[in-house]
Formats: sequence, structure tokens, C-alpha cells
Amino acid sequence: MIKPVPPAILFILGAMLIPLLKGKLKQVYILLVPAVAFLDILYLTPGTSWVYNFLGYDLIFCKVDRLSLVVGYIFIIIGFLAILYSLHVKQDGQHIAAFLYVGSSLGVVFAGDLFSLFAFWEIMAVTSVFLIWFQRDKDSLDAGFRYILMHIFGGCALLAGIIIYTVSKGSINVAVMEPSPAYWFILVGFGLNTAFIPIHTWLPDAYPEGTITGSVFLSVFTTKTGVYALARCFSGAELVAYMGGIMAVYGVIFALLQNDARKLLAYHIVSQVGYMVAGVGIGTTLGVNGGIAHVFNHILYKALLFMSMGSVLYMTGKRKLTEMGGLAKFMPVTCVVFLIAALSISGVPGFNGFVSKGMVIASAVEAHMPILELMLILASVGTFLSFVKLGYFAFFAKNPEIRSKDPHINMQLAMALTAFLCVFIGLYPKILFDILPYSVVHYQPFSASHIFGVIQLFMLAGVAFILAKAMVVPHRATILDFDYFYRMGGRGLIWISTVPMSNFRSTLQVRFSRAMYIIVRLAKNPISILEIPTAYVYLRITKGLRYVSGYSSGETYNEGLYRRPIGVGVLMAIILLFAFALIYFIF
Amino acid sequence: MKKILKGLFILLAVLCIPIGFFIKHEHAVFFWHKIPSIEAIFGIIGALLLIVAAAILASFAQKKEDFYD
Repeated sequence: MIKPVPPAILFILGAMLIPLLKGKLKQVYILLVPAVAFLDILYLTPGTSWVYNFLGYDLIFCKVDRLSLVVGYIFIIIGFLAILYSLHVKQDGQHIAAFLYVGSSLGVVFAGDLFSLFAFWEIMAVTSVFLIWFQRDKDSLDAGFRYILMHIFGGCALLAGIIIYTVSKGSINVAVMEPSPAYWFILVGFGLNTAFIPIHTWLPDAYPEGTITGSVFLSVFTTKTGVYALARCFSGAELVAYMGGIMAVYGVIFALLQNDARKLLAYHIVSQVGYMVAGVGIGTTLGVNGGIAHVFNHILYKALLFMSMGSVLYMTGKRKLTEMGGLAKFMPVTCVVFLIAALSISGVPGFNGFVSKGMVIASAVEAHMPILELMLILASVGTFLSFVKLGYFAFFAKNPEIRSKDPHINMQLAMALTAFLCVFIGLYPKILFDILPYSVVHYQPFSASHIFGVIQLFMLAGVAFILAKAMVVPHRATILDFDYFYRMGGRGLIWISTVPMSNFRSTLQVRFSRAMYIIVRLAKNPISILEIPTAYVYLRITKGLRYVSGYSSGETYNEGLYRRPIGVGVLMAIILLFAFALIYFIF
Repeated sequence: MKKILKGLFILLAVLCIPIGFFIKHEHAVFFWHKIPSIEAIFGIIGALLLIVAAAILASFAQKKEDFYD
């Protein structure tokens, strides 16, 4: 029998063949890879395999347990659905980036040691940014750079933490952390990908700028691998649980004010990931099961939301709520799947969000965390409000100018299948309960008090929406977030480097070269020393005249002038480092 | 038509409040779990609280669309 391989390999190697195929064959191939990966993961058995020795440490590429399996299942399922949604895309680059992104996320999930986890973590950051850049406009280019800068910061924090951990513990296995310097560095590294406040700004900044199909992938993998990593290493950390509560409320307040549909959805990722982080941070059996069940469900409905809003953008070219409206008539399929996703994310009984959100809130009660329970309920009300707003202004508000139709059949099919899964798990949660990390699930989602409680919550929140609708009407505006400080700080840094530092450098350069010139001249002809006073007087006079006439040499910092020498310098350094490492490891 | 629907929705919402008096919370842990129809109160107060919080946020953080350009 063939030994199952780590599913990451299938996607990463699978990406290499994409450029060689054409037309229908390529479409069949890119759907076949996730299908094979799913079969492969079914054959994985708990335990560790694919272990390689590296510098005296064991690199584990395939550590299988119930936690990694459940996250692996949903990553591959959504990988398949998102690939189906993007089947019409002609650019190979987008497919390759998506494959590498899915593959590296699976690599993180099945990594048994911190080194290989870190390597896949970084591949994830680097490949996902291309799903933003393929949008090919200035906004996405800029947002992509901000995205990658923040992820490099998170990656550095993670690497620092891993090194400190390895040196102090002598082990590189992924395990629950105890408070130490390494703990905080690794928490920042994981927290950045999980969109902890205030290092979440890359998410609502970059996700709305991704390509239509790319944003579907983006909405799934980065934050969820973060939650997975927290579940592995920070389960039961109270601080993490409260951070989850803060994220849940913070996300919905910002979402309520957004005008860009995909930005609104991005803020809801922050909020929903808050539930997962809270569950994992509570750390009880119910908490971790609830958090991971929410990962599973959230991936489905959030991808569906990005698919439906992506379809609106694809067909109408409109991304702002102030420009949409009345689409229910023209895009019935998109409207129905959007409603299913909106009901799921809100946690309405009968849809998948209801089941897992209830588990997380119940775990907060069980762990005697009253504030956290109230925060999570508040976030749930806010989620409902924002999706009433999004649904109303996108699909039902009056807009006589809009004309459209439903998107390509592959996009419709992907949305329909995802919507089916949302409803199926909502009605039959046992199928999800059976694969959760802790096998015994003592939770009854469909109790009368829970169902009527949620109905009351939403009915009355709906009344509040009707009463205060004028206050949540979308406006054409930017809502400043913490990124204001990062951007202004960044601009300040660039100003310091390009004006005072650059001036200092050029002054030094001029002085040194002048001194050098004089020395050279004197060495050639010592008698010329007599000419110096004359030259000095001449120079002073001409300088004075220039000053009086207002002439300026106009020497300011020119970015283009330094790009190549610095780039070549960095490239040389990398090549040398690589060569050094190669020689070091081989001999 | 729109007004009738709106009225009907508000009526239904009000009607669902008394149901809470007949259904007890199974595992009452905090004191509010014992208050009948507490979710209805959470719903309306929570929603208004969030809308007000968003309005306060907008009062200082809402800038022109091209703010960063």
C-alpha cells in the first residue's frame, strides 16, 4: 500500500505543474489536486511520520492528531471549493500562489516542530501577498507592501521566540508554552496572524484589495492557522481568552461603519476569529472544541460571504455599499447564498454558526468568565446588525441604475456547495462533533432556551436597527484604525531617512571627496597649495552670489537613484549568505 | 407595504418577549441567566450600545475617502 504523504506536499509540488497544462485539462487538474489531498488525509493515522534530522533536531512534517486532522479536513474542503470558484481565472500565477498558500497552511497544521512550522508560516505570508498584488492596481500594491511588512515583523517575532525557546528548553517540539521571554515573542508572532488588537490592521487593509478569487483564499487560511497555532501552544491562557473577547467587539464596531463590502467582511473576520481565540484561550474541553468548531464553520460561511461579495464586484464592478442596492432581483443565486452565509455568521438556529458560537459562549459561562460572556453576546448582536445592514444596502435598498446577472456557473456552483455545507452542519452538527479535538462533546445545541434566547436577541436587535437605521447608513469615508499610527510612523521614518539622513550623507560625501581631491592634487603638485586661498575666495564669492540670486542646485533624495545599488547589494548579501550556508551544511 | 412589514416585525419582536417567561435557562450560572427574557434586553440594549459606540468612533475617526493619499 502507498504510504500517505503530508498533504502540504501535494499542493506545493502540484503547483509546479500548473503552468505546463492548458485549457480544460488544467481545470480538471487543479480540481483533482485537492480531491487527491482529501483522499490522502483520510488515510493519515494519528502519530508522527516524515521525520528528518537537521542539525541534531528532528523536523516533523507530519504530526497527526485529532486537532490537526479537523483543521486539515476543512482546509482541503475549502481549498477545493475556492479553486472551483476561481476555475475561470486565466492567470496561472494566481492559481500557483493559491496552491502554495493552501499547501503551506497545511504544512503549518501538520508540522510537529517549531522550525518547519516557521518555514511554512513564512511561505504562507510570501505566497498570500501575491493574491493581493495580482489585482494589479496601486491600492493593492500598497496594501500588499503593508501586509508583507507586518507579516515580516510577526515572522521575526516568531523566529526570535523560537530561537529563545530552543536555546532555553533544548527542544523544538510544538507544545503548550509556559510564561518566559520566548512565550511573549511567540505570542506576538502567532497573534499577528490571528489579528490580535492592535496588530490586526493588515487584515482589513489588505483583504479588500485582493483579487476577487484571491480574497476567498485569504479569508480562510492566515487567521485560521493562527488560531490553530494558539490552540497548540496557548490553550488555557486567560489573557488570550480576553483578547478574543476584545477582538469580537472591536471588529463589529468597526464593521458597522464600513462602506466597502469586503472591508466590512474583513472586520468581521477579526470579530469572528475573536470567538475562536476566546474558546481556545478558555482552554477547557468545551472551549477548545467550540473554538475549533467555530474555525470549521467560520471558514465555510466567511468564504461564502467573500464569494458572494466577490461575485457582486465581478459582475457590477461595485465594491461600495453606497453604489450598490437592488441586486436581489438581478442576482438571485448570489442573494440566496449571501443570506445563508449571513444567517450562519449571525448564528441563527438551523445554520452552522449557531452551533459553534453557542459552544464558545457556553464555555465562557462554564469557566465562570462573566465579562467574556457579555462581550461575546454583544459581538453576536453586532454581527447580526452589520449583516442586516450589508444585506439591505447591497441587495434590497432601492437603486434604479443597477443592472447585473449571476456570475459564471463555476462560481455559482462553488457558492451553492458551500451554502449547502453551512446548512447541513447547522441541521446535523453531529457530523462536526464527531471529528472535534476532544472526542466527547457534552453540548446540546438545540435546547429550547438557547433557540428562543437567540431568536429574542436578534428580533430585538432588529427593532433597534429599524429605530436607529439612519445612524448606520453607509457613508463614503475612511475610518481610521490603529494603522494610522503605523502609517504616520512609517512616513516619519521615510522622511527622516530621505531628508535629514540623506542630507547628512551627501554633505559627508561631498566633504570627503573634496578633501580627497585636494590631497590628490597636492600629492601631484605640492606647489599648487598656493592656489588654495585664491580658490577659496572665488568659491565663497560665487556661493554668496548664488545665494543672493536664489539659485539652488536642487539636490533632493531621488528614490530611483538608489534602488539599483541597494537592491544589488542586498542580492549579493543574500547570495553570499546562501553560499556560506551551503558550504557550512555540506562540509 | 414596507410600513406594514416593519410594523409586523416590531409586533412579532414584542410578542416573543413573553415566551421567555415560560422557558427557563437550563444551567443558570450568573444572576442574569435567571431573569426571564434577558436575551431580549441584551438584544435591544446591546444593539443601541454598539450603534452609539460606532457613532462616537465615527465622530473622531471618520475622515475623507482619500485621507491617506
